[in-house]
Amino acid sequence: MKREIKRIKQLFSGLFLILACLAVFVGCDQEDKDVIVLRVSNWEEYIDQGEWDAEEAIELEDGTVILGESSLVEDFEQWFFETYGKRVVVEYSTFGTNEELYNQLTMGDSYDLVCPSEYMIMKMMEEGMVEPYSAEFFEEENENNYYVNNVSPYIREMFGNLAIGDKMLGDYAAGYMWGTLGIVYNPEYISEEEAAHWRLLLNPAISKRVTIKDSVRDAYFAGNSIYNEALIGSQEFISSDEYYQRLSEILNATDKDTVDAVEEILSNIKDNVYSFETDSGKADLVTGKVVANQQWSGDAVYTMDQAEEDGVYLNYSAPEEATNLWFDGWVMLKSGIDGDEDRKLAAEAFVNYLSKPENAVRNMYYIGYTSVIAGDEQGAVRQYIDWCYGAEEDEEEVAEYDVTYFFEGADAAAAEEYVLTVPEDQTRRQLYAQYPTFDVVERSVVMACFDKEGNERINRMWTNVRCFDIVKWWDGVFSK
Amino acid sequence: MRKPGFSRKQLALPYALFLLLFVILPLFVVIRYAFTDTAGHISFRNFISFFQSSKTIGTLIYSLVVAVLTTVGCLLLAYPVAYILAKGAYVGRHTFLMLFVLPMWINFTLRITALKEILTLLEGNLALYPFLNTILCMIYDFLPFMILPLYNSLTKLDNSLLEAAADLGARRWQIFVRVVLPLSVPGIISGITMVFLPSMTNYVVLDMIYNSTYIVGSLIGSYFSSYDWHNGSVVSIILLLIICAITWISNRFAGGEQERKAGVAL
Repeated sequence: MKREIKRIKQLFSGLFLILACLAVFVGCDQEDKDVIVLRVSNWEEYIDQGEWDAEEAIELEDGTVILGESSLVEDFEQWFFETYGKRVVVEYSTFGTNEELYNQLTMGDSYDLVCPSEYMIMKMMEEGMVEPYSAEFFEEENENNYYVNNVSPYIREMFGNLAIGDKMLGDYAAGYMWGTLGIVYNPEYISEEEAAHWRLLLNPAISKRVTIKDSVRDAYFAGNSIYNEALIGSQEFISSDEYYQRLSEILNATDKDTVDAVEEILSNIKDNVYSFETDSGKADLVTGKVVANQQWSGDAVYTMDQAEEDGVYLNYSAPEEATNLWFDGWVMLKSGIDGDEDRKLAAEAFVNYLSKPENAVRNMYYIGYTSVIAGDEQGAVRQYIDWCYGAEEDEEEVAEYDVTYFFEGADAAAAEEYVLTVPEDQTRRQLYAQYPTFDVVERSVVMACFDKEGNERINRMWTNVRCFDIVKWWDGVFSK
Repeated sequence: MRKPGFSRKQLALPYALFLLLFVILPLFVVIRYAFTDTAGHISFRNFISFFQSSKTIGTLIYSLVVAVLTTVGCLLLAYPVAYILAKGAYVGRHTFLMLFVLPMWINFTLRITALKEILTLLEGNLALYPFLNTILCMIYDFLPFMILPLYNSLTKLDNSLLEAAADLGARRWQIFVRVVLPLSVPGIISGITMVFLPSMTNYVVLDMIYNSTYIVGSLIGSYFSSYDWHNGSVVSIILLLIICAITWISNRFAGGEQERKAGVAL
């Protein structure tokens, strides 16, 4: 009997505990009625998380000091309250790949604002998942609209040229980071000329000392560029009227002949490379296990910085055939926003806050990628580039580096030129990766999302490349 | 004495529930996906295309070869060790056993990371011998799983049987081949099942040592990550059938062995 009483006591205390917990939750719920909850999902390590050391402070020419003390997310919550007089709480989470994000969304996770890459934005637009930005977001008169007032004219133009059906990409997405796809290489072993072609991945001279991304789209782009190198590298093609459009069509082709040919090329690349890597490429370049590595421009900056600390000087190349111009952008989700005006306001404000030039600089410094934000002449972004790359007065070899297109627009005949004076080697190194020259972006292609058939074909191609080719092996045994 | 308020059968309930939720139900989902096409109609096309492609068949054979070599390698290395540990007459046997089993408690990715550096040192460049490296790492990874069952079955082996064989004039190798080996078959079989099946799908090892060829495990993973549930399920089902076949064969083997032993006893 005693034991039973004890049991009942235990039971009750357990129940009480559960009830107490529930009460706390319910309490929170009621309290937070007038707080906007904004659910944001972004790439891992893709935003400034603050906690910089004091000596990390960036002192710009005009005396502005940029220092990330607390995370940008926390700073945003404060700024939003000060600006709009409403409380917002950001529920910030991260994802590892575009596919992972898409999977989460189709499995029923809800977010208000997410940051996928260009092809995933297009796919989501196609499927009607994306909420357009409001007209107020694009009003230039509002000084809190940092995005529209500071985004690079080049990026704005590019967004304007991309469309899914009759929907303009620029109405549904706000850019965040952008860059190119290229090759990081060690100039001790590889000449600038060799690195200027995707064919480097097939070069037997660096057999088993070169790596490629373990990603079907990146590998396909490189393979397709090699397949078409004679055509797209020819002067005749480059000077043709519809150069850009044709280049884009060729590198977005998923017809059977192209895919089969690329499969053959990628199989040969597989035999030549050290590995298909997801994250080891950076370390392997620094230790010297590999001498060249296919990389995104932002990772390339980080790799070159890291290698430099170990006394290894690496270069970046955006191959002459073509490079994949990529970007990640903020899109609002219909399922998350769900017609809630306040939440939409908060989502747009979040994008605007990240687009404030000082904050764009904080992000760039923290993650090494290139923000789409350009700002005005005296703006923080330009000063930051100068702070990073500008040549010292006693620098011996300097070069002029023209990035007018990014800051003033592609046809900037009327506008003022923006030319930096930088140490000569920066024209092949971090600066070149972070802000490519105009000739690079002229031969760059945005890789759209493939249609269902093309997607299936490319995935099958990738499986074939990666599976064990028993026929080839058998032939090899016999030819020996 | 008061009886406990539940029967033995009821004790199995939590496990049965677990099994139902996380094994049986997902299995039905896998079977459903394997036998339907993207439109949801029943179809065998996925199976046919698996067996029609020389690439997927190639990967199946490749994984089988990796698994066989790993198992044989483990067996050859583990048997002498287990035998010495079980039958050797020296002090500190348990300490030695611990020394062999301890690595099992360290996560295998850490062990492979260490082995990777050693292999790089020996070979100069890991990527030159991807297949050899795969086998070496797999053996390194699974060796403890082979030693333990062998050790268990060898310690249970009655020493008087060995003495009897010696008394009847059997030479040392004859004792081993005709007495020790047959009596340790159950240990060998459970060792093989513990090594063979996981090594067919242990693709993390291949990823870590830069073998960019797929084995069955990576193939399933790649299908699922590109939302191809149908083909991924087909490969899973094929793998499941192989597992069933191997378990069935090994059970027959072990069963036959017990029957024979029973016959000897009679």
